[in-house]
Amino acid sequence: MNLSDKIKIAKQTAMVAGAFCLLISLLLLLHFLQMRSADPLDSQVLETLVERLAMEPGNEQLKNEIRQFDLLARKAYFTSLWQVRTGGFLLLFAAIILVAALRIYFALIARIEEPPGEEETAELTGRVLSRRWIMGGTAILVILALAASLTVSDPIERYLADIAYPEKAEEQVERITITDPEAPPAEDTPVPIPDTPATGEEPDRQPADTPAEPGRPDPKPDEPAEPLKPSFPDQTTIRQNHNAIRGPWSQGVVYHENLPLEWDGASGKNIIWKVPIPLHAYSSPVTWGDRLFVTGASERERKVFCFDRHTGDLLWEASAANIPGSPATPPETTPDTGLGAPSATTDGIGVYAIFGTGDIIALDMDGNRMWARNLGVPDNHYGHSSSLVSHKEKLFVQYDDRNRGRILCLNVHTGETIWDITRDSDISWASPILADVDGNYQLVVKGNPIVAGYDIKTGGELWTVNAMSGEVGPSPGFGGGLVYAANEYATMVAIDPASGAVVWQDNFYLPEVASPVYGNGYVFIATTYAVLACLDAKTGELLWEYDTDDIFYSSPMVAGNRVYVTDTSGNTYIFETGSEPILIGKNALGEEVYTTPAFADGRIYIRGEKHLYCIGI
Amino acid sequence: MKHITIILPVLLLLAIAITDQSHAQQRFPAPEFESGYEYPEVAAPEPRTLALEYVDVMVLLGFMLLTSWLVIRKRSRQWILWLSVLALLYFGFWKGGCICAVGSLQNMALSFSDPSYAVSYTVIAFFMLPLAFSLAFGRVFCASACPLGVIQDLVVINPVRVPVWIQRSLGIFPFVYLALAVLYAATGTDFIICRYDPFVGIFRMGAEFHLVILGISFLLIGMFVARPYCRFVCPYGALLKVTSMFSKYHLSITPAQCIQCKLCSGSCPFGAIEKPTTGKLMDDMKGRSGKFLLYAALIPLLVLVGGLTLSSAHVFLAKAHPDVYLAHLLIEEPAIINDPDNLDVQTFLASDRTLEELVVSAGEIQATFRTGTRYAGAFIGLVAGLFLVSQYVVRRRTDYEPNRGDCYSCGRCIRYCPVQKQDA
Repeated sequence: MNLSDKIKIAKQTAMVAGAFCLLISLLLLLHFLQMRSADPLDSQVLETLVERLAMEPGNEQLKNEIRQFDLLARKAYFTSLWQVRTGGFLLLFAAIILVAALRIYFALIARIEEPPGEEETAELTGRVLSRRWIMGGTAILVILALAASLTVSDPIERYLADIAYPEKAEEQVERITITDPEAPPAEDTPVPIPDTPATGEEPDRQPADTPAEPGRPDPKPDEPAEPLKPSFPDQTTIRQNHNAIRGPWSQGVVYHENLPLEWDGASGKNIIWKVPIPLHAYSSPVTWGDRLFVTGASERERKVFCFDRHTGDLLWEASAANIPGSPATPPETTPDTGLGAPSATTDGIGVYAIFGTGDIIALDMDGNRMWARNLGVPDNHYGHSSSLVSHKEKLFVQYDDRNRGRILCLNVHTGETIWDITRDSDISWASPILADVDGNYQLVVKGNPIVAGYDIKTGGELWTVNAMSGEVGPSPGFGGGLVYAANEYATMVAIDPASGAVVWQDNFYLPEVASPVYGNGYVFIATTYAVLACLDAKTGELLWEYDTDDIFYSSPMVAGNRVYVTDTSGNTYIFETGSEPILIGKNALGEEVYTTPAFADGRIYIRGEKHLYCIGI
Repeated sequence: MKHITIILPVLLLLAIAITDQSHAQQRFPAPEFESGYEYPEVAAPEPRTLALEYVDVMVLLGFMLLTSWLVIRKRSRQWILWLSVLALLYFGFWKGGCICAVGSLQNMALSFSDPSYAVSYTVIAFFMLPLAFSLAFGRVFCASACPLGVIQDLVVINPVRVPVWIQRSLGIFPFVYLALAVLYAATGTDFIICRYDPFVGIFRMGAEFHLVILGISFLLIGMFVARPYCRFVCPYGALLKVTSMFSKYHLSITPAQCIQCKLCSGSCPFGAIEKPTTGKLMDDMKGRSGKFLLYAALIPLLVLVGGLTLSSAHVFLAKAHPDVYLAHLLIEEPAIINDPDNLDVQTFLASDRTLEELVVSAGEIQATFRTGTRYAGAFIGLVAGLFLVSQYVVRRRTDYEPNRGDCYSCGRCIRYCPVQKQDA
């Protein structure tokens, strides 16, 4: 084989390999264009079917169609991947042949070049040009850097300055809001129930004794009121309602009169109305004016329900759906907790509810969404169960999970975070309460192992007592100037929230779920071994104990000189708050109860496993 | 045959079509309703055993030892070529281009800035070995152990001679890239050398669209401008260039006395052969000693200007960090949280972090960038100054010699030298 033959073979090989490369490339190009026009990952048909399924969730035929299309799309997608990969390998193989053939071809036709002549000036010219281009290139880099510095502003610096000087930042609150102030999607609009006109009593918008917010001047009489920020209810108004679990400020004390002492669920005695609850949950009812709110949750949906508390009519329901960050699949929970264990709270301006998915939602009194956000899915093996409590523009969320102890304070108007603290606490299921200490409210929170008081303005820790252990479920109690915290397998402590000092400690009767409550100088403990115990609030001395028929999950409530407590069988025991166990009444509901009742003048509202009861005379 | 060289680029451009899957997600999304199907548990692949990592180090060491022997003693271009093919197959297509010495400099930079970042002995070896060998034998790593270099070397078909001023001017860019790569790695922002590695998509038969285009472009250009990535981009090459300048046993074109036949002068596709210095050049340079001193005196000014200038762009550069980018986005466009398709924002919203935490973190990162850009800018200014000064420095040469910084020790020039070893 002579040189020309070798050149010829190399040339022909290169041409064949080149043609093969061209063919494969064209096929890949066609495939590319085809996939762009009909991307299996972006099937309009599938999207339309899924939208239809959202409207007809029970349509099995539709589900089957979706499955078939889904399978088809998957096959198309994976076939496409195979084609691309195979084509890629063939192209690589052909390209290697092509390059090798070309290298051989050019090597064979190469001729020894004639050595260049002396180029004395070339080197000098090259150096001069190099110098100029290096200088020019450096100048270009400088210009680019300066241009980059001019094109970008630094919002972070401004934002951090705003945090440091919040009063200057007030005007820019809207700019940094990270919640959705817009109207919710159609799915989330409240569903009004016909023929049930809402006649809710308007809260006191301008209470005379409401102090001005810190940092805000008192509004002058001739200044128009801010339309977007209605005033918050004063203490008197709050006491007239049952706006959080365990009543005002979640302290377990209500201020209503003429409460019923006798009822019977089986016979309907003093049962004013009884209605089924559309969606099960372990959250407790809360009330405001004529309205009563409960939440419900399942794997598929989370909802807030508003009832007319006089008639039991369902006024509206609102879904906590389409919340950014909400998990597509809810976290696993145990059946005794579920996704709807936390109770909602209300301030007469809005209703605020949180669910085990980490979704928190604010609705106005007509069920329109004000804002919603997801706080991150809680890592909680039973399910998140800490209820909400609010004070003026602040909504407090105890969010202890297995990752960290955490409390958030959100703005009730916007949902934006006012403060967010990590605390030295493990997972817990207790709820925060508000305690008026020397004229200032403290947020008192239990956890494992600490009981602590927090400055509601900043989230700063005011005091902490290391006393709890195990799985902390009961919330703190407050009254007589002391905080009462107890937990099964730990201890019970009475703490002076002004100093954080432990006043007394006792280990005899300890609750596992129900929270301790203070009333008229006594502290009441309802245990999961069916004992109601009464202690002297000042000394911790055990005054009496009463064995009941069943265990307590529902927390005892104090109303006037009586304490109401309901066991899980639905029997409500009514005792006088005194140093002797004087049982005034024992009333059977006929349905299991795991929630804490809500109270209004002459009315008690109990959420059973399936029904909501209104009890009154 | 000329047609082939015209058609070839067209063919390879068409090959970008293979990247069409880059438009799609790599994983098919889950069905949008609960079907009762239980997803299999996701199993993460086991990491490579330490023994295999050590094997890689030993292979690298073996390649460089062998290359050094082939370059210095055996003087065989053919053997170097086949060894480089083996390296391409092993470090490129078999190992997918990772770990490589080029990217390892980022690991090293991060480990210096972040004490909590542990860098393995393998990475240290991959970073140090080529540098150590270049100090002794020149850039033998580039010759036949670096898959990025080898794949370019193999497609050199009809190289053109790049004018010396272009080569020297563009030669500053690898140092700029080096400064930025170290800055981004040390701040924990990104490993930009790996992210923008143009050849890894070819090694792994799949990459993002723009990367495949970049890789193919480099190969197409590389058919006529040899090793464009190595010469004008590679940041690790910048380090090797410096160390190789001081190499003790570097490749020599001739094994004995140069006979000044000039046959080798056009043999190097990288323009790395330096001619003997002429009297005129030496005289000219002597006359410019004043300028040499002037530019040398300007170096501190360039360092200062570089530091201050790049520092002024620290916010722009810091936006490459995910936290800074997200913080800017959320502050400047708060309505973005309503965009369900913005995965960055949605992931943040689903996390435990608050906006304040994010912004504070971003502020700290920006502050780090402010400091980092000062050093990086000063380094670039220093390099620019040294490049300028180097234009007034001439080493007296009587023979044709490889430029120790630019020579890749590929051995092409050896074949052109008519002087035989036994002549020595």
